[in-house]
Amino acid sequence: MQSFIIAKKELTLLIRDKLTATVLFVLPFAMILILGLLLGEGFGQKTDDLMRISVLNLDKGFGLNNKPWAQLAIEDMVSTPNIKVEIIQNKELAEELVKTGKRAAVIIFNPDFSDRVNECSFLSTGVNPFHRDGIYLEKLQVSIVTAIIESVCQIALLRIVMPWMIGKAFEKLGDPEFIELLGKEVSLPVPPSLRLLIPKDKIPLGELLQLASGKDAVLAKNYREKVGAGIQTALTGQFKNYNLTGKSWASLTRSVNNAETVNTLTTFKNEDGTGILKRGAIRYQILVPSFTVMFAFSLILISGWIFVAEKRQGTFNRLLSTPVSTPSILLGKFLPTIIISLFQIFFLLGLGKVLLGLKIGLPSWTFSDWMIALIVLPLATSFCVASFSLLIGLLSKNETQLALFSSVPVCLFALIGGCIFPWEMMPDNAKTLAFLTPQGWALDAFREIMPSSFDTTTDFQLIWKSTLVLTAMGFILISITWITLGRIRFGNS
Amino acid sequence: MTKVHSVILKIDNITKLHGQFKALNTISLEINRGEIFGLLGPNGAGKSTLLSILAGASKPSSGFTWLDGMEIQPNNLKLRARIGLVPQDFAFYEDLTAKENLVFFGQLFGMQGQLLTSKVNEILQIIGLDDEKAHQYSKYFSGGMKRRLNLGIALVHSPDILMLDEPTVGVDPQSRNRIFEAIKTINAMGTTVIYTTHYMEEAEALCDRIAILNHGEIIACNTLQNLLSLTQTTINFSIHENDMAKSRILKQKLPELKSDPLQGSYSLTSHKNSTPDIINLLVNEKIQIINLHLDSPNLEKVFLSLTGRHLRD
Repeated sequence: MQSFIIAKKELTLLIRDKLTATVLFVLPFAMILILGLLLGEGFGQKTDDLMRISVLNLDKGFGLNNKPWAQLAIEDMVSTPNIKVEIIQNKELAEELVKTGKRAAVIIFNPDFSDRVNECSFLSTGVNPFHRDGIYLEKLQVSIVTAIIESVCQIALLRIVMPWMIGKAFEKLGDPEFIELLGKEVSLPVPPSLRLLIPKDKIPLGELLQLASGKDAVLAKNYREKVGAGIQTALTGQFKNYNLTGKSWASLTRSVNNAETVNTLTTFKNEDGTGILKRGAIRYQILVPSFTVMFAFSLILISGWIFVAEKRQGTFNRLLSTPVSTPSILLGKFLPTIIISLFQIFFLLGLGKVLLGLKIGLPSWTFSDWMIALIVLPLATSFCVASFSLLIGLLSKNETQLALFSSVPVCLFALIGGCIFPWEMMPDNAKTLAFLTPQGWALDAFREIMPSSFDTTTDFQLIWKSTLVLTAMGFILISITWITLGRIRFGNS
Repeated sequence: MTKVHSVILKIDNITKLHGQFKALNTISLEINRGEIFGLLGPNGAGKSTLLSILAGASKPSSGFTWLDGMEIQPNNLKLRARIGLVPQDFAFYEDLTAKENLVFFGQLFGMQGQLLTSKVNEILQIIGLDDEKAHQYSKYFSGGMKRRLNLGIALVHSPDILMLDEPTVGVDPQSRNRIFEAIKTINAMGTTVIYTTHYMEEAEALCDRIAILNHGEIIACNTLQNLLSLTQTTINFSIHENDMAKSRILKQKLPELKSDPLQGSYSLTSHKNSTPDIINLLVNEKIQIINLHLDSPNLEKVFLSLTGRHLRD
């Protein structure tokens, strides 16, 4: 009961201090907004997030297994390590993205792409897509630019076109036209014993087959087919490591699918936001959790300051001289910080959602998932913040000490914890170091509930783990505070 | 009102060490129920330290304090409800009104409802903040008003014993009088008062008994009258400097008289009750007095005579 009286008084004092109350809530949001407007689209994204190939698939034809060749090319790119393939929905958007510099390039598979690939052949009558450095993209009705993306596209197309052409060529080995051609080109020496029958030094293979068939047309055709099949079998035996009829890169090279290949195919989403506030920009997914956590822990300074001011004014000693128990006093000081912290968190998330289009949660979340994300996690964070605030406030004898003591949990921990510079912009082991701080744990969990466009699942195990660590930290800190306050109140002071 | 002289507070051989420094040295006192007890001493004498121990805010290094037979210890929270402490510094919330401050501290002492409301109103009246000032933020109060609010907060839970640590520091005479009035009113209602000050006038004006504290030790403790009797009244007078005959008579009749015959001025230290005899002697001998001044005993003199230094040194 008395705890609530103390808590009510603390909140009344805070509400009356309008400037502080304003700063507490408006400053974090202002910082999010300013940084959100100033920073580029790629802020805080991993390097591999940026290794992205944007593709527009307009292909209307069919290729292998009745799949459009463009589709096969895209699948090939997706299977390329460290490449994310992003599907652009239409040509206007593709042109806009390139024009505004949001995408370096977009690979466009034009409607005739499959038809053109189908026409590719080693035969003189077919389309020859090759040149010294690779493939003529324009011959295949593919439009793109820039060196890196063109290289990726070239490789993908080579892997598509080459097996297709080899497969088709291999099939041609059994074709009567090919045997006809072979029969004319290959001449065999006539042994002397047969010179009476065949009065020549050499006889073309075609003539020999004709001779063998006794000028029977059906039998001659049959022999030619056997020769073709024999050549195919011989070549297959000779090149056992390859399936020359495969027509796809995987079949040709008899390669096995890499089980670790992850699906990196996404559909284009506008990550730079819209309107003046850049609503929905992907960077808010990093800025909002970062600043929410950072400013939650900044309460250590504000609550500590109020505590120190109360000690300096003598009201704290007066409070200690009342019959109120030490736990009640602690709880009375503790509750307002938790309430303010929770209010601040919800304020930032709410404003982020409404004004900045912040994405919170996934459609697949259940009611309990929402409870964990929006109640349990903020409570654990606020509990840790309040415990830290009380300890720092209690240990600080004056404002100078408080400024020094709180600079560690407020500034240094925020930096290490990834609130100021996202982990993606820091060295690889930075995240390991971040987990030495409560901010690191809190931020990890808050970022999990505010997924990026690539996230399709939520790691609730991670959120639970962070929640438990924050709660444990809070318990340790509040226990130290309790013991310290007890010694101050009842010790030999 | 007749005061019942039963002991409410007993201090038994209290010593308080701050490191090597002895802030209090084997203090023993008994304070009677219903009295206004003064703790007089210069700054640094140990008054606030003693008050802090008596209020249960800190622990003595050795010795005991008892309130109505119960030992005062910091962890004895129940006893705190019987004690009202007015700290030397302002200890209230400046962004709360006077009334809100009183209500807040009253609630912490478990008061609520009508009892709290009526008590708060009563205290506001006693400390003279019962008009619109009750609803003003205390940060806008004058020094005197703040002192009165500081006092009021200690009274709101109706303590049996009120401890005031130099409650008039830096206040104007009008506010000081109001504080005195408040203390007298509370005392008249039966509250025992312990009043620490380094102003002898305040101790003289308010206190039934006074303990003089110096360097952490009680050097005297008694009623005002008895303390004053430790020093004597000095009578200073002047006669015509050329009246040598009268001067001789005076020397004969009052051998302890200190004189400066060339200036015609004399001084004599005596008990206050012998002063009329001396005046009569001067009249009977028809000695024409140019001026006469009685230097009465006071606590300053008592302190000077006991310690060899002035109270405000």
